[in-house]
This record gives sequence, C-alpha cells and structure tokens, in this order.
Amino acid sequence: MTTAPRSQPSPLSAFFGRVLHKDKTLGPILLSPGFVFLAVMMAYPFFYAVYLSFTDKEAGSAANFTGFENYQKLLSTTLFAKTVVNSIVYTVFALVLKFAGGLVLGTLLNRPFVGQRAAKALMLIPWIMPTVFSTLIWNWILSPAFSIINEVLVGKLHLLAQPLPFLRDETWAMASLIFINVWRGVPFFGITFLAAIQGVSTEIIEASRIDGASPWVSFWRITFPIILPVVIIVMLISTIGTLGDFDLPFLLTRGGPNNATTLFALTSYNLTLGSGLIGLGAAVTMSMFPILVILVIASLLRVRRQQDNI
Amino acid sequence: MAAQILSSRPGPRKILRSVAFYLLLGAIFFVLLFPFYWAFITSLKTEIEIYDFSGNFLIPRNPTLGNYDLLFKTPRYFIWFGNTLLVSVVTTVISVVISVMAGFAIARMRFKGAALAGALVFITYLAPKGFLFVPLAQILKDWKMLGELSSLYITYPTFLIPFATWLLSGYFSSLPHEPEECAMVDGASRLGAIWRITLPMATPGIITAGIFAFTASWNELLYSIAFVNGEMNKMLTSGVVGAFNSGDFLIFGPLMAAATVSSLPIALLYLLFTDRFVSGITAGATKG
Repeated sequence: MTTAPRSQPSPLSAFFGRVLHKDKTLGPILLSPGFVFLAVMMAYPFFYAVYLSFTDKEAGSAANFTGFENYQKLLSTTLFAKTVVNSIVYTVFALVLKFAGGLVLGTLLNRPFVGQRAAKALMLIPWIMPTVFSTLIWNWILSPAFSIINEVLVGKLHLLAQPLPFLRDETWAMASLIFINVWRGVPFFGITFLAAIQGVSTEIIEASRIDGASPWVSFWRITFPIILPVVIIVMLISTIGTLGDFDLPFLLTRGGPNNATTLFALTSYNLTLGSGLIGLGAAVTMSMFPILVILVIASLLRVRRQQDNI
Repeated sequence: MAAQILSSRPGPRKILRSVAFYLLLGAIFFVLLFPFYWAFITSLKTEIEIYDFSGNFLIPRNPTLGNYDLLFKTPRYFIWFGNTLLVSVVTTVISVVISVMAGFAIARMRFKGAALAGALVFITYLAPKGFLFVPLAQILKDWKMLGELSSLYITYPTFLIPFATWLLSGYFSSLPHEPEECAMVDGASRLGAIWRITLPMATPGIITAGIFAFTASWNELLYSIAFVNGEMNKMLTSGVVGAFNSGDFLIFGPLMAAATVSSLPIALLYLLFTDRFVSGITAGATKG
C-alpha cells in the first residue's frame, strides 16, 4: 500500500513510511476512526443525556436547567416505582432461569448421542432468529382469545376449566415476558456453558469418579468451579442486556397491563416519544446508570482476569 | 464421557436413564422450536381455519399461500425489505472496516493507551441500546437527520463497532506474529505485510464479525422506530410491527407469513455459517 521507492526515498515518503511502520504512530492511526466515531456517537450522547436529565426539556421547547427536579419527580411517581420493581423482577428471574437452563442444556449436550451436532445447531435457532418476529409469534401463541396453549389445556386435555390470562393479568404478563426472555436466551447460555464444560479435562473428572464421587458431586465439586469464570461473565453481560431490554416488553405487552411489565427503556420511550417529556425520560434511563456502572466494572475485571489466565 | 466409560454395564438402570435423557432433551427442544412450526403452519392456513381449533389443528387442512399472496401484494413490504437490506449491508461494511482497524491496533500494537482503548471498547459494547436513544434522538434532531433513513446509517454502528472490535481484537491476538515479521524482513512495508499476510489469516474472524453485525442490524427495532418517520423509511422490524394491526387486534395470518419471510435471510445465513455463529458466540461475542 505504501510502497515508497526503496532506493531513493524522498524525505516526505520516508516520513510517512516511518509513521506507518511504528506501533507508536500506526496504532493510533488505525484506532482513530473507531475512536472518533464512538466519542461522537456514544460519549457525547452520554453526557448529553446527563445534561438533559437535569433540565425540563420537552419536545418543541427549549431546555431550562432544573437541577434534581426530574429525579425527585420520578421518586414520587408510581410509574417509576413500578419500572424499578419490574426491572428487578424481570432481570433476577430471567437470569436465574437462564443460568439453570443453561447448565441443564450444557450438561445434556455434553453427553455424546446420535444427532448431537444437529441438536447444537437447532438449539440456537430461538437465539438467532430476529427477536421482533419471534415475539410476534409469541403474541400469537399467547393471544387472549386464540392461544394454542389454552386451546390444548382447556379444550383438548380438559386440564383447566378457564383459559390462562397470559397477557391480560399483571402477574401472568410478567411471567410470560420472563419466559420468552429465557426461551430466547437459554440457548446462548447452553452453548457457552457447553464450550466451557468441554474445556474441562476429562482426566480430572474420571479420577474423581474412580474415587467414588457421583456424577452430581463431581459436577459441582470439579466441573462447576472450573467453568465458573465463564459462567460469571456470561451472567454479567446478560444481566446488562436484560436490564436494558426494550424489544420484548414493547412488542409483547406495551408495558401493560397497568404498567406491570414496563422496563426502564420502555418507560423512557413512552415519556419521550409518547409524551414529549425528554428531560424526564432521560432521567429514567440515567437511573439505570449506577447499577450499570457496577455491572460493567465487574465484567471488565472478570474479563481481564480471564485474559490474564490464558 | 467418564460417566459412559464407568457405567458401561448394560442394564435396566442404564436404559431407564437413556430414556429419561431423550425425553428431557425432546421436551426442551419441543419448547425451543415449536413456536416456529406453529407460526409457519398458521401462515399456511385460511383466515377461518386459523381460529378454528377443532380436530387436528397442527396440520393445515387446506394449505394455502393466501397469506403470502397478501403480503407480496403489499408494495410497502418490499420497500421495507429493501431498506433493511441496504442499511444492514452498508452499516455492516462500514462497521467491520472500522473494527478491523481498531481491533488490530488494540490487539497487536504497543502504544500508549492501547489497553485503555480496549477497555473503553468493551464498556461501549456493554452499554444497552435502551440507554442512549433519548440523547441520540436529540442529537439527530440538532443535525436535521431525525426522521430520515440516514439516521440509521450513523446510529447502527454505535452497537456494531463495539462488539465487532471486541470480537476482532480477540481474534487478532490469537494469530501468530511471525508471518508478518517474515514478510517485512523480505521487504514488504508494514501495511503491506498486514494487508497481504495477517488480514487473510484473519478472514474467518472477519466473516464472523460480519455475519453478527448483519444479523444485529437486521434485527434492530428501537432505533428504527425512534429515529425514523414515514412508511417509506421503515425497516422490516418497525414496518411489520405496525402493519396487520387493526386497532388492538393483530391479523395473525399475514403477520405469521411476514414473520416467516422476514426471518428467512437470517435463517439462510445461519444455515450457511452455523459453525461461525457457534464459534462467535463461544468467543463471547454477543449479549444473551
């Protein structure tokens, strides 16, 4: 690319030759497009959001600095209280279930069987397929009037007298939301845990089995501690994604019924794009910040440690 | 594996465990995959049959392509499809090029701030999309881009570049340094050696980053409903969500046809690159 003539380099091309050769100069040059882009499109918006959250900015009017007024307002509204509680319930349940489900899938698939390769490929489909379209499918499966689950449970098997109010009841709506998040996320957990489990030396496990440990004991005493670093990183990254989720509640329930399934991003979306309360909406997303900082720092330290160990 | 070796005595206990294993696996896979079957079957039914659960409703009695016909007679659908294809391809190419450069620098070059840059990329990768859309909308408005399709070209890379850079820096650091150094001893310039030696070695990683970026663009929803106005500017995700929606009631026949067709490119990509998807995921490339 920079083929400066080797025989008689002009001072200028020699200069560029050096600049494009040394780590000290070429590194920053290669980094700069990405760095500039992320500074303009992520760092700047972040500070802009902090600023907006301290103003009374509304769509179509200028912003006035109002200090902590937005945050005080949020603390006194039930919408925000619900958003916080919903987000905690959604994240905790989804993560615990994805963790448990991922371990089950990972250990099941670690056992050799006919069609294992195909099973691994099929398993990932819920995770690969676009969330928007798979959630529309769940809208149909859980639809109030024509849910196939209700048709089978009530109409065919006569196990229930009444159809289940999947998206109409507050608790059922949250349970449905969590279930679909788990349905979509568990293949990802399963495949990552499987890769980690397969990295564990079979000799250690065989040794523990010869010493008389049951598969259950040898899993928790030997395998699990070895795969724990991977488990923790996957859990941390997934916690952040789950906490910041917008697509699922927006598509499945629009946050309802009665705001029982709204999360930070959706509440903020409704305040800003629905009601034009941009300052207040910014304050909602900024409320995620303290917990995000903790999760991000924890992930960063974990990843560092993992890389150092390799 | 060890369990197999140790308990290789055939016996009723082993058969029972085998049966339990396949039953559990079968149940899990049924839950994971049935929704796609149900959507596809629904898309092949007539409007009356869709809501008729008498008899065997798991197989369409009179399979029809009526719902697909209706979908393909909706000209907007093709515009959304085109928008999505165009935005996904363009943002993927831009993001992968920028990420290859940044990932290479972070992984293989020693300069002040390289480690910090790596940490910052990881932090931006972790930031959820729902966190920054409010200020981004304001910024796009300041720049007179809000409502236009162009807003997606500059906002999609905010979630594509961080993870592609993160994935690629991991890939680049796993490649040996010697071939590049040999080429330079033989007279190649630094960039020439990178271009001709290291980048070809990194092709699998670059393909993985590309298919993940394309998939993420294709699946995006929040930015495409928050930043873009007008029917002609919609993406498949935002368009299909709004269409076939008469008030509170979704018209599920064409909707399931739309879901099927709109997911097809991603399904095809997955079929072609299953191994790349799996390796990308296990490299910790993406959020679950």
